[in-house]
Amino acid sequence: MTTDAAPVPLLEVQGLTKRFGSLVANDDVTFTVRAGEVHGLLGENGAGKSTLVKSLYGIHQPDAGRVVVDGRDERIASPSHARDLGIGMVFQDMRLIPALTVWENIALQLRDTPRVLKPRDAQRAITDASAHYGLDVDPSALVRDLSIGEWQRAELLKVLLAGARVLILDEPTSVLTPQEADALFDVLRRLTADGVGVILIAHKIREVRQIADRVTVLRGGRTVLADTDPHELTDAELVRAMVGTSVKPVSRRPEPTDETADAPVVVSLRGASVLRPTGVLGLDGVDLDIRAGRILGVAGIAGSGQGELADLLVGVAPLRSGSMELPGLDARGTTTGDLRVAGVVDVVANPVHDYVVRGMTISDHVALWEATTAGRRRFDVRGAATTFARRDERAGLRAADPSRRLDQLSGGNIQRVLLTLALTQDARLVIASYPTRGLDVLTTERTHALLLEARDRGEAVVLVSEDLDELLALSDEVVVLHHGRVAGTVPAVDADRDRLGLLMTEGAA
Amino acid sequence: MSVLEKDPPKVVEPARATASGQPFWRRLLFVVAAYLLCLAVFAAFAATQGADPASIFTTMLQSSVLDWGTLQQTLVRSVPIVLAALACTIPARAGLVNVGGEGQIIMGSVAAVGVGLALGQAVGGPVAWLAIVAGAAVAGAVWCGICGFLRVRLNASESVTTLFFNFIAADVMLYVIYQVWREGDATSLPQSEPLTSDQLLPAVGGLQLTLAVPFMVLVVVGVWALLKYTSWGFRLTVAGGNPTAALRSGLPVRRILLGSMLAGGALAGIGGALNVMGAEGALRPGMTATFGYVAFLANFLGGSRPFPVLGAAVLFSAIANSGNGLQLSEGLNGSAVNVLLGLIVLTMLVVSGRTKEAFS
Repeated sequence: MTTDAAPVPLLEVQGLTKRFGSLVANDDVTFTVRAGEVHGLLGENGAGKSTLVKSLYGIHQPDAGRVVVDGRDERIASPSHARDLGIGMVFQDMRLIPALTVWENIALQLRDTPRVLKPRDAQRAITDASAHYGLDVDPSALVRDLSIGEWQRAELLKVLLAGARVLILDEPTSVLTPQEADALFDVLRRLTADGVGVILIAHKIREVRQIADRVTVLRGGRTVLADTDPHELTDAELVRAMVGTSVKPVSRRPEPTDETADAPVVVSLRGASVLRPTGVLGLDGVDLDIRAGRILGVAGIAGSGQGELADLLVGVAPLRSGSMELPGLDARGTTTGDLRVAGVVDVVANPVHDYVVRGMTISDHVALWEATTAGRRRFDVRGAATTFARRDERAGLRAADPSRRLDQLSGGNIQRVLLTLALTQDARLVIASYPTRGLDVLTTERTHALLLEARDRGEAVVLVSEDLDELLALSDEVVVLHHGRVAGTVPAVDADRDRLGLLMTEGAA
Repeated sequence: MSVLEKDPPKVVEPARATASGQPFWRRLLFVVAAYLLCLAVFAAFAATQGADPASIFTTMLQSSVLDWGTLQQTLVRSVPIVLAALACTIPARAGLVNVGGEGQIIMGSVAAVGVGLALGQAVGGPVAWLAIVAGAAVAGAVWCGICGFLRVRLNASESVTTLFFNFIAADVMLYVIYQVWREGDATSLPQSEPLTSDQLLPAVGGLQLTLAVPFMVLVVVGVWALLKYTSWGFRLTVAGGNPTAALRSGLPVRRILLGSMLAGGALAGIGGALNVMGAEGALRPGMTATFGYVAFLANFLGGSRPFPVLGAAVLFSAIANSGNGLQLSEGLNGSAVNVLLGLIVLTMLVVSGRTKEAFS
């Protein structure tokens, strides 16, 4: 397709910048969608894809830059404004009301819905549209009875009937079976034939190849590849654009790592499987040796089993099958309490949800930490301030005053408290999940140094991160998870980033 | 590595503004206005029923707290309410909702009479009191503990199971009144055999107040100290404040939750025993008079903090007591005070919704 065919793009973004406090989520992003194309928007987690489309859909207001819709400058104030401009979005967490039928959900959204509903008219309009686009849904079915694929089709119908000409799909295939994904792509082709422009947020190279006419790749909030025909690029080039080419010169270990390659095993997993609450295997037959004095990096796209691995290692998630041996731990048992006393501590992936206790001060949290890691039943809240001051001095992360309530601090300051505790613990095994998320550059650097110090003290460190630069700079080796399985283990020194990226997105060959 | 020598900047955040962001006096004004409006609505209601709105509040105060005799009645009546309210307070700290105060009071009362009858004439005085209170505590704890067990093992909602256990308990009491410990013949008012006079709590220093009232105050202080100063209370607060965090810290969350239900049930059971030993003397149908539900509201109004809960429970007891006065002097039905009770709860919900953390 040449640019002559569509002289005015449906939607054009120039120099869009969006900041959240000190975090720059979108930095001078450029992006264009034309009528009749599927535009793949690629990037790792945190690359700024969601922020960008939320700005287009009126959820965020950009701090700088232009958004041009149909050749006119627009300031998209709200989602309903976006819908008026013909921009529709299908979210990852779907937004239908389960207790209502499909047609009721759609009628709710439409502007010209009469005050007294006419079920027959509404249902006919929906049936016509579903036949036209091949979106097969029963309009009178209750949404809660739909399968995920049907649910998504209903959501698409809702957006299309609202008059969307630019359709934003946020990782629509992540919840679908391959067959459902193929069916969705057929629908997208019919839509583009009608002149709709589709923005498809995607993780998987294969899908982009299958459906996208153009791609834009974001990394670290910036456009690294703008409006390109994906067929001009190799898989490796696409992956490199997503995950980056340069290792930041941070905290590189001073010495080679072979010396500790056969260090004592602290925890050994064999065929370890863990169920998610949904009944799906989150971790599926994983073999892993975690050794003292080494940092094991864990890479993978979000939800590939990192959370389940961490939960298993701290004793929160039970093994479904397989074994977990603890030769390097002097543990009384395998409960969380036992493991904690034996020196297993973790930096949780989401401290605001899973660490902060409502209404409690930092001192309270410190007392809880001290008592549970020492196996004491008494909580010394009064002595906690002193202990914490000592830890704070040692860690150098400059945590807030211990008399402050933790739930009133920002995410970054909460993270500093948790890191200060976990990285001054002299533990046997530290599981650090996304330890530097939301931290400023200097605190990130200090945290990296602390992780390396913990390793040099002989602690086994499991580092879960979505930042490949961080993983490669700190880890001795990186294990890649994909759909709960080990897709491969790669030594961090001279790691082939392209291969890592492919393992993350496509799994073991 | 040069950047590492500098310390990361210390971020100083201001304490978060109060929920409403309004100055204190504005919030206070709102609260006072809300409660005045609440009283005005009740006065209007009373006027429609033929009472004099100008005098009802004086009458209510006279018949609940201003007169020494009625004040004593109010305090005696508040004993089971306060204990059952604390039975909500402790589980609430652990994040659980105990709506079963009523049933736990009843089971405590039944156990109290059961223990008393078993001891018979042979045992009276402090030994009997202790035995009766202990039996009632166990009965209440078991009754509430079953719901706690269902919660931690089967994830059955404790707010639903405790509620339904109230109805079962009420029927258990009717059964023992009519079938097991029936006193007198079929023509007399239904009532169980009574405790012996040695087993009843004596009045304090020639007043109507029995020992139950000072004991109640002791329990409130004890629960306050337990929650504030002991490791048990700390664990409870952690488990209630963030169960995931508690689990990840290795706390035995299930045991903590179950323990809170056992402790709560025991308190409500003791409340039932004190009501029997200090006021009723025997079981009779309907004797608990929805104490358990009023207690639930008192705990809510008091924000699950022992001293405010005590205040709320005494307030509710006073309002209920003032019904007698309204009936005698104003010609209102005694249950009219339930309208006021409802209005106060409504006002309280509006006020707490509007001012959120204003008073915590």
